Amino acid sequence: MTERGLEDRAAHALRYFFLRRLPTCRQTVELISQSLERPLTLRERVATRIHLWVCIWCVRYLEQLQLMRDTLGARSKQVSDDASPDGDSLSAQARERMKRALGQHSR
Amino acid sequence: MEQDETSEGERARGRAAADPSEWVDLHGDHLYRYALLRLRDAALAEDVVQETLLAALQSRRDFEGRSAERTWLTGILKHKLVDHFRRASRQVCASPDEGEEFGHDELFRREGEWRGHFAPDRAPVEWLATPAELLEQGEFWETFRRCLSPLPARLASAFTLREMEGMASEEICEVLGINVNNLWVMLHRARMHLRRCLELNWFAGVGARR
Repeated sequence: MTERGLEDRAAHALRYFFLRRLPTCRQTVELISQSLERPLTLRERVATRIHLWVCIWCVRYLEQLQLMRDTLGARSKQVSDDASPDGDSLSAQARERMKRALGQHSR
Repeated sequence: MEQDETSEGERARGRAAADPSEWVDLHGDHLYRYALLRLRDAALAEDVVQETLLAALQSRRDFEGRSAERTWLTGILKHKLVDHFRRASRQVCASPDEGEEFGHDELFRREGEWRGHFAPDRAPVEWLATPAELLEQGEFWETFRRCLSPLPARLASAFTLREMEGMASEEICEVLGINVNNLWVMLHRARMHLRRCLELNWFAGVGARR
């Protein structure tokens, strides 16, 4: 057996070792979502941490969920503070309808 | 012009109306934007605002000016929105498969030793944006609204209550009549879908790296 073949076999064995023991990307992104809702168990944390160590895609997934959360929180505050650059407004009809309704009910 | 509107808004924020019909002009747009961000439908947002103003009219005597009029009205609107989510959730029975297609299974490899891992040509790409930049881009929020619109009502409600209201899990479960495991599955599917939809329709176009 050549040296090259031995290296390949070692890499293959290592890959299989991780593949059998680590959660897949599909399982990892579900855990990433749950980590925003509850503390993960030690076992889940370790498995996720190792997966993220070797998988840039799941790292991006985590960063993107965090970005969505931060952006939506900020958006919610922006709209509450009336600081949005793109203000939707009530239509003229809705405005009239509401004024009429308030007029009728206050009598 | 822009400046005038802002200062008009500034004045309206702290003012109290002499007559309830003035609420519409003073606070109507504010309440409408607040509702529209949380609902997916302009007509529905208008209805909820009208319901809010009528409810405010009923309880006007209890309002003693302890807070600003706008804060008081927004508080009533929040209750009306939660009522809406509660009703909408009761119209369809909860099922574990609800919104299953939004889990986007096609992003993962189906066979081979990498089964269940991301398929390289569908894996998350790098997004180049910060929350502050996205807040300034009106078109992004159009895209966001379009991405949220196909989700089943309960999934969208769960996501909105969690990410926009910042409501606690137990409270959301109570409003939607689901258990916490259902909620986690729903949030996962909603996030899977929104992330993928925003990636395809926004981030892929504005400079993403693979």
